[in-house]
Amino acid sequence: YGVGKWIRKPECRNINRTWCDLSSETSDYEEQYYASVKAFLNGMCSDWIETTRFNPLTDTKIDPPMVSVSSTEKSISIILTAPEKWKRSPEGESISLLQVYPGLQYNVSVLNKKTKKRWWFSISNTTLVVPWLEPGTAYCVSAQIRVTTPLLHSGFSKEYCIATLKDSVTF
Amino acid sequence: TAGNRIFHFGHCRVSMSMTEIRLGFTAIKANIQARDPIRTLSILSHPHSLHKVKSSDGCCITHHLFNFYVDKVFKHCKTEDSFINRKISSIANSFLSMKRKLRQCHEQNKCMCEEESTEKFKQILANYEGLNVTSAAIKSLGELDILLDWME
Amino acid sequence: EDALLPTPQNISILSTNMKHFLSWSPVIVQGETVRYSVEFQGEYERDYANESWIPICECSLITATVCNITEDISATVAYNLRVRADVGTRRSEWGTMKGFFNRITTSLTPPLMKVIADGYHLLVELEDMGPAFQFCVLYWKKGQESRVQQKVVKEVSSVVHLDTMEAGPDYCVKAQTYVEAINRSSSFSQTQCVRAQGGTSMWL
Repeated sequence: YGVGKWIRKPECRNINRTWCDLSSETSDYEEQYYASVKAFLNGMCSDWIETTRFNPLTDTKIDPPMVSVSSTEKSISIILTAPEKWKRSPEGESISLLQVYPGLQYNVSVLNKKTKKRWWFSISNTTLVVPWLEPGTAYCVSAQIRVTTPLLHSGFSKEYCIATLKDSVTF
Repeated sequence: TAGNRIFHFGHCRVSMSMTEIRLGFTAIKANIQARDPIRTLSILSHPHSLHKVKSSDGCCITHHLFNFYVDKVFKHCKTEDSFINRKISSIANSFLSMKRKLRQCHEQNKCMCEEESTEKFKQILANYEGLNVTSAAIKSLGELDILLDWME
Repeated sequence: EDALLPTPQNISILSTNMKHFLSWSPVIVQGETVRYSVEFQGEYERDYANESWIPICECSLITATVCNITEDISATVAYNLRVRADVGTRRSEWGTMKGFFNRITTSLTPPLMKVIADGYHLLVELEDMGPAFQFCVLYWKKGQESRVQQKVVKEVSSVVHLDTMEAGPDYCVKAQTYVEAINRSSSFSQTQCVRAQGGTSMWL
């Protein structure tokens, strides 16, 4: 947007699918973009039809974080990993969404399967240890990403359940 | 939805909340940008991107841009749509609040304008004056997220 | 020529917890239904847009004598409000509220709060007061009032985990709201104390 020239996308010429991956062309999130497409059949073709203006920073969907959970007898440890920004090739430099959205935070929910009680935690770092839990009890964890500026949030991850170890003291 | 942040523009530190402006803009973005048919020109981001502004120039450019939007842009953005007009009023009045906060830095000489930032702002004005006033105002309003993204 | 309708009087705003309601006295016309319309003017409109007024369409030709103006009072500047009456083709002059309204003057009430001890875990349930609100929650061990801990809750999602508790001592909690848009806080809620009791909830 604002540059004044349309760039052709060779990989999306003469295709019959109805989508085209423009991640590479829109990877600079300090810029904004328009895309346009037209259809043709037997020598006839339609007008170009444009998208609305695309701002990669605000008009993107955020995936939930990856959640890994481990447990001891009386505690569970939760490690969260934010998704990475798209990269041109697997060898390319990995950029975490945290670098793109400095205000990124996590909402974590911990459900006690026995009592059915759910607790909420709001954290900025990527690890959370919940101590003093009941031994031999299943807990289910799910997490969401929230960005305050611009206002964005992911859905919740699926639930990861784990049980605290049974009480090792026996008489 | 806390959005109150301390903005550091060189020596100038200002606490501002962008959340309501963001919400207001998001509500009208599609409508306003649809009224701007010109793809080949940007008021704020070409030829100079705001993202290339040195942090020491941040306060000066921001100060100029707040004045630009308040003095030149909002008043020429009246539409036939009452909802849009009310959101523009909300954004415009929020800009006044922020303008007042930034003025404190200006009065404490923490908002110095170096030649580079003055040149950049001149380019923005030239882009603006290159269009008729309504088109320029609507395009500038449609680019508000460029300013907000850069500020944040 | 139709007699002019009386101008609406006693126009005032009741603002609590960032919800702003404009109200006025009814205009009485025997046997007729009087309708009212409301407009607002922010500092921007006064100083930069020829003192223009903006109609609030949700409060155009309404019969009620109250209007929720929260959505339009969305900046921390001085606003003017005015109301006009209509009966058929007859119309009153605009009645303008005396003085300005700035949302910074809204009255903030302490949040409704419920403190829960779930095993060794100290939890708090807070009332959802809308997106403009955060909560500052203070908690301490009874008797150690000098070692108060603080947690800022930016989003209310039912039961929020504060901390883990040692068995035995009482833990006390109080909370206040904070509205960053106007940079003001409410007074604190009543203090509530609980005690960790193995796995069962315990109130004091």
